[in-house]
Amino acid sequence: MAHPSQLGFQDAASPVMEELLHFHDHTLMIVFLISTLVLYIIVAMVSTKLTNKYVLDSQEIEIVWTVLPAVILILIALPSLRILYLMDEINDPHLTIKAMGHQWYWSYEYTDYEDLGFDSYMIPTQDLAPGQFRLLEADHRMVVPMESPIRVLVSAEDVLHSWAVPALGIKMDAVPGRLNQTAFITSRPGVYYGQCSEICGANHSFMPIVVEAVPLEHFENWSSLMLEES
Amino acid sequence: MAVEGEEEKTKSFKLLGILDIQNIPCARGAVLHGSAASIFVGLGHFLATSRVKRSFDFGVGGFILTTLGSWFYCRYNNAKLRIQQKLIKDGLKNKVMYEGTSLDPTRKQNSSQGGGS
Repeated sequence: MAHPSQLGFQDAASPVMEELLHFHDHTLMIVFLISTLVLYIIVAMVSTKLTNKYVLDSQEIEIVWTVLPAVILILIALPSLRILYLMDEINDPHLTIKAMGHQWYWSYEYTDYEDLGFDSYMIPTQDLAPGQFRLLEADHRMVVPMESPIRVLVSAEDVLHSWAVPALGIKMDAVPGRLNQTAFITSRPGVYYGQCSEICGANHSFMPIVVEAVPLEHFENWSSLMLEES
Repeated sequence: MAVEGEEEKTKSFKLLGILDIQNIPCARGAVLHGSAASIFVGLGHFLATSRVKRSFDFGVGGFILTTLGSWFYCRYNNAKLRIQQKLIKDGLKNKVMYEGTSLDPTRKQNSSQGGGS
């Protein structure tokens, strides 16, 4: 999860997020070099003693500063499109989970095999146990088997919400009357936090998402337990 | 463990406030190569021509081109390595999961080699 005053991305927990991190590094290096060049040009222009009021045109420099930005944009666009299509690949999911947004909690339905459904409310600050995270913990986590492709169908029951988990590289709008699909594979076991990412009313900031990736046996035990409780 | 990780991240050094050269793979090497090339090219041009401003221009140009070249070379090698690691990891997993069954990947390889000879 995020640590205090963090500016950058969280560590990747899915292959797609790893690709996004690499793409971000690539783009950032290009931005850094462009910024260096612009900074240098500004300093050079401010400190020059040369003045020439009669330059009307210069074909060479016009060609350079047209072609070079086009090349830079292509260098950025190609990896970007690769990841875009990678995210849309059909991956034969092992499990389908429905995530429904409500004001102001999420509900999850695992209906592939049995009829399992539960609500996930934020744990209020006064009820947190020592070591738990303020505004991020939920009473029921969305438990998934690790290293298995999972399909998530996202929708909403009332107003717009958005189901986001930064560590997995996922954000999908929850629109009432519409089913949006996203998929992920968790590379490692762990607990991954997210928050509602579409303004949805007074408690928009207080409906977190918690995904817990566990080995398959643990997931089976958990689902049996949840079915018994319900 | 979490505290150590946070300390490592808080020690990050960002060039121009954006490029974290300590935590981004290949960034430190690319910037160091670029800086060295910038000094060589700029100094070399100045020694040859005694033109200060033009030497600075060459120095900055050398920095940008060398950083870019070193960056892409290192990232390409990194990407090849990551793909190899993924293939090895998947291969190990398949071997462990399917050993002794008809889907055993080593069994398929051996049977195809035996058919060839």
